[in-house]
Amino acid sequence: MAGFLKVLVRNLMQGPSTDPFPLGETFTPQRLRGKVHINPNLCMGCGVCRHSCTAGAIDIRQLEDGTGFKITVWQNACCLCASCRHYCPMGAITIDNNWHSAHAAEEKYDKVEQQIIRYEPCSHCGSLMRPLPLERVRALYANDDSLDPKLLRTLCPKCRQIEDAKRNSCKLPGAPGKSASANDDAATPASAAPTA
Amino acid sequence: MSMDTWLKKMSVRSPWLFRINAGSCNGCDVELATTACIPRYDVERLGCKYCGSPRHADIVLITGPLTARVRDRVLTVWNEIPEPKVTVAVGICPISGGVFREGYSIEGPIDRYIPVDVNVPGCPPRPQAILEGVVLARSIWLKKLGLEG
Repeated sequence: MAGFLKVLVRNLMQGPSTDPFPLGETFTPQRLRGKVHINPNLCMGCGVCRHSCTAGAIDIRQLEDGTGFKITVWQNACCLCASCRHYCPMGAITIDNNWHSAHAAEEKYDKVEQQIIRYEPCSHCGSLMRPLPLERVRALYANDDSLDPKLLRTLCPKCRQIEDAKRNSCKLPGAPGKSASANDDAATPASAAPTA
Repeated sequence: MSMDTWLKKMSVRSPWLFRINAGSCNGCDVELATTACIPRYDVERLGCKYCGSPRHADIVLITGPLTARVRDRVLTVWNEIPEPKVTVAVGICPISGGVFREGYSIEGPIDRYIPVDVNVPGCPPRPQAILEGVVLARSIWLKKLGLEG
């Protein structure tokens, strides 16, 4: 009897253990996985998220006019495994803790996270390409002060290769100016010679 | 007030739930059981109660991607539920097929066969999200009964 009274008093003091939701507020854990978001400044469209997506909820397709691509995550197919976030090399995918997902069936296909990402022209040849974010380029070329990340970022991969060849050709054994006398027989291609 | 309207007004206090497992992995079913049986979530506050017979049900909660084997049985049971009924798809499987989409044994998504009213996506959805879906289903049910609010 005394034990029962103890439980009764404790329950009266503590109040009900029922969560007041949906009539009141509820708790949400900080790391709960709710909705997927894509950062359009970071996404490069590499497709690793689409490849790793367990439920096939991610779609990446080129725009019809070829000026960019569209990345779509359908929340109604997303199983919240977070492998896209785990494998994204750019860290462009975040998952917030918004779990308010119940909706009327008419809105079924509206529950998407969609970003349209435009290509930019290469500063040398003008072909369309997706520039790397500046922070990423800074990190990639951090050990070489002679490189300008802002310029490199605006070059398409082909022009970047040519720039790299121009820069490094002076370091080649047969390059003129540096050790030309030691390697007279090595023909120096004119196109690879450093120009201004 | 006619008897019919009076009965309708009384019954809206307690929409009974019925659960159909259309080939679910049981994850969503565990969450449905949690929503009803654990005092913390307690769906019975809203007058909702799981019933054993489809003929007593008002809101039907469907889990699972509708496998080929279970399809006809799900349709039989679903047709037993009297109108007006509200169908709630719980989890991503009945909504889109989820991780089983386009599998050889999958006949879903479920809205190919059954008109769905409310979707609660998640894998599985958390109990609060299911509660939210039940509240939404209840408001749709009131509209179907002609008793707004």
